[in-house]
Amino acid sequence: MIQSRHKGILLILPALAVMGVFTFYPLLEGIRIAFTNKNLLKDGVEFVGLQNFARLLSDDIFWTSLTHSIVLTTVVVFLQFVFGLILAWAMSQKLPGMTWFKSIIMASWVIPVAATVILFKFMAQPDIGLINIMLQGLGFENLNRYWLGDPNVALAFIMMLHLWRNVPFYGVAFLAAMQAIPKSYYEAAEIDGANAWNKFWHITLPGIRDMAIVMITIHVLWTFNNFDFVYLATGGGPVNATDVLPVYVYRQCWNSYTLGYGASIGTIMLLLLMIYFIVFIKISERGSTYR
Amino acid sequence: MTRSRRKIGVALAAYAVVFISLIFFILPMLWIFYCSFRTQASIFTGVVLAPLKEFTLENYQTILSVTDYPTYFLNSFKISLAVTLLALICSIAGAYGLSRFKIRWKNAIIMGIFSTQMFPQVLLIIPMYLIVFSLHLLDTVTGVVIGQLILVLPFSIWMLKGYFDNIPIDIDDSARIDGCNVLQCLWHIIVPLGAPGIMVAGFFSFVVSWGDYLIVSIISQSQRTATATLVIQRLSSALLIRWGQVAAAAVLTIVPTIILFSFVQRRLVEGLTAGAVKE
Repeated sequence: MIQSRHKGILLILPALAVMGVFTFYPLLEGIRIAFTNKNLLKDGVEFVGLQNFARLLSDDIFWTSLTHSIVLTTVVVFLQFVFGLILAWAMSQKLPGMTWFKSIIMASWVIPVAATVILFKFMAQPDIGLINIMLQGLGFENLNRYWLGDPNVALAFIMMLHLWRNVPFYGVAFLAAMQAIPKSYYEAAEIDGANAWNKFWHITLPGIRDMAIVMITIHVLWTFNNFDFVYLATGGGPVNATDVLPVYVYRQCWNSYTLGYGASIGTIMLLLLMIYFIVFIKISERGSTYR
Repeated sequence: MTRSRRKIGVALAAYAVVFISLIFFILPMLWIFYCSFRTQASIFTGVVLAPLKEFTLENYQTILSVTDYPTYFLNSFKISLAVTLLALICSIAGAYGLSRFKIRWKNAIIMGIFSTQMFPQVLLIIPMYLIVFSLHLLDTVTGVVIGQLILVLPFSIWMLKGYFDNIPIDIDDSARIDGCNVLQCLWHIIVPLGAPGIMVAGFFSFVVSWGDYLIVSIISQSQRTATATLVIQRLSSALLIRWGQVAAAAVLTIVPTIILFSFVQRRLVEGLTAGAVKE
């Protein structure tokens, strides 16, 4: 390798400086604020110990948001994984038109989330939205409603938005991993008389394992921390039916101006993700010894 | 016989997946594009195939000449361009350093960079608001750029490091023997060879910045720094929503991302997953 270590440090210094000042310092500062009663509208700040965290325990909206966050993240990441695999399988078939399909399918991932939300808000409108027009055409007039305004379906609708954005990303990522698996593995398995399911289970899945771990890890973090979808689609409503932790933190900080309390909820989010991260890394390391 | 029948079955199943995917993933975009050319009255009929006379350019005319949308679009452009440039400079240098040099605590640094993906942005934004405020950067382009830079930097370093790791080190060794210094080596060897990855990192930074709502909504306080993303949200949550105009504004906000996407589309996956694939 190349000699001096100072040059290496100098190269990463700009990035580290930016992240130090605007990521790591704010993180520590955010955790510190969680133990204060900082309020954007009031001047004095006092250290209040665990008071914010004690208040959390009896805050119903916190528990509702926490439940929604966990359910949303679990369901969304699981379904993205399954649909992503199906999509990757379809795209791996050598058929006319597939190259074109692969070239456009990731479009949903690149457009702004705010635009995605508008697309679906528009389609979810009662009477004039495409979803309701289509349902009407199929004879389900009685289902006509504003889909994001119905507490029973709003959260599921938001999960669908997450799928809309990310499933193609999973699909193309898994496809890339599948294409890196040597063809000879499949040929050898065929000689041994393996059926399609055996091949999928014993060759394809282990082959995309590393990619799947990375995709799942970052998407759990990104989905749990995601603020835009819920905030832009419903703001947490109707009647807290879609509230998730990031949106609750945002409202506490920027609508109620209680920065201290908001920060304490943010700190809990960080804690949960750290636990997830450590457990998941441990599990995936243990799994790799079987290979 | 059974073999060819199975092949047909597989092809049919694959096309079924393609067909459903096109309806689910592509149709919503086509629908809003289509409706952006319809009058408010036409949209409110709830008819899918509107007669030709109900089509109009009025929505675009209103958005571009009556509302302030063009100002916000330009703001978005300025901010996203600045974020992309700064992110590329920092992450190309950083990824090169991490990929090629002996650095103390290197693994800890890489882990630290990756772990930032875990930090809740809604928590970071609280102190960030206070920092930006005390630097007198609230409601400035600089303030928004700094905020968005930290959204893209970690992932872009991680991605580029993966990409650079796959460029054989022999190439820079031989350049070094020919007398290149570190920066020359970076500029003449790594940047050209890593160009596809750098394009994807640039694209990623631009798209994340362009689509950001959280940071802008807090650091921007006025028309000076509000972005297109912020404004389409405002238009679509008005009391009386003019859907034709909302659709036109949304289409205009989507178009730059789709144009850039068409340039990088072939490289996108390879670049995005470079950090995940080690050879």
